[in-house]
Amino acid sequence: MSARPILFEWTMQPGTGKAVELLKGHILRIEQVEGGQCVDFNCFNLHDYREFMHCGRTRTVHGFNPSRGTFMWSAPPRERAMLYILADTYGRNDVLFPRCSAYLYESAYGFDGHTNCHDIQAEAQREYGLTPDDVHDSFNLFMCTEISSEGRATITRQNSKPGDHVDLLAMMDVLAVPNVCGADVMRTSNFSLKPIKLSVFAATPDELAAPPAVPNLRSQRSPKDFRNAAIKADRPLRRDAAYRAEFVNAPIVEKEVEIELTADELDLLRRVKLDIYGSDDAAALRDILFSWWEERFLQASSGAPAIGER
Amino acid sequence: MGEKIVVKLRLNQQQLELVDRTVAKGIAPDRAALVRLALREYGAARPAPADKKGRS
Repeated sequence: MSARPILFEWTMQPGTGKAVELLKGHILRIEQVEGGQCVDFNCFNLHDYREFMHCGRTRTVHGFNPSRGTFMWSAPPRERAMLYILADTYGRNDVLFPRCSAYLYESAYGFDGHTNCHDIQAEAQREYGLTPDDVHDSFNLFMCTEISSEGRATITRQNSKPGDHVDLLAMMDVLAVPNVCGADVMRTSNFSLKPIKLSVFAATPDELAAPPAVPNLRSQRSPKDFRNAAIKADRPLRRDAAYRAEFVNAPIVEKEVEIELTADELDLLRRVKLDIYGSDDAAALRDILFSWWEERFLQASSGAPAIGER
Repeated sequence: MGEKIVVKLRLNQQQLELVDRTVAKGIAPDRAALVRLALREYGAARPAPADKKGRS
């Protein structure tokens, strides 16, 4: 890396963030200077800010702690791979927690004003005309989290070191917005705020070839596919008198399909069916049909979109 | 021939599409056969308690 030209370099001081234009095929390195610093991150399609990185979608595809070899995905209905995590020397990131906010520090700690990731993101992206309402949940780099036995997400301290870095390869032109997490009274960054170094450089052919193939599907829609593609430019909501609902596949119509079962098959059904269906053998059999289908054919788990071959 | 029982599955058009695409792949000759295959394979993956003891 030392031999390759640096296209952009910036050190984010504590309490700040930086909006960075990152073109397809370029890499943004986000690097610890002193170590132990969480970095909140989001990005937008550089040519259409309404497409942005969606933690919920990313979480369903890659789990709670995505690391090297995973993608950051845009929100439905776009659902495109925006960035690929090419390198991650520390390997602890989080997509459970939203960005911290001024409300948090006022309500829980009594601060009138306090560094917080929402406001830092907003201020950084204001350079590109975006508003505080355009901040979305963050991909939290170098953030150590766990799920408690009670099902709550918790934050733990971290031990990233100087030089630890995450390399994000742009799969499209994006506006990347990292910020130094403002949480100095929480354990997120071990109770201190430290600078973070940013650098941008071009990917090598090997790096460009690293991401696995991702689907290109009809369901990945863009404004050209929208019934209403105009961005609403005023704030009040008013009913469109010309609106006619066009929901996908509605009306949903059920048909009866008769299945002849032998006595043995009926015994089997009643042995394996779930209690929630009570005496409703038909509902139990329908559950078995689609549960079996998932087990046999589904390539992703728990409702996550598949990203490999269809 | 033993006694047969008819179970009436209620499936919507989307569910039927998935069933029909699966049949079209040759997994089973028709909808009913696919449902019975699903039941058998689902059951085989969930042995009865007595079977489990025998296998442990």
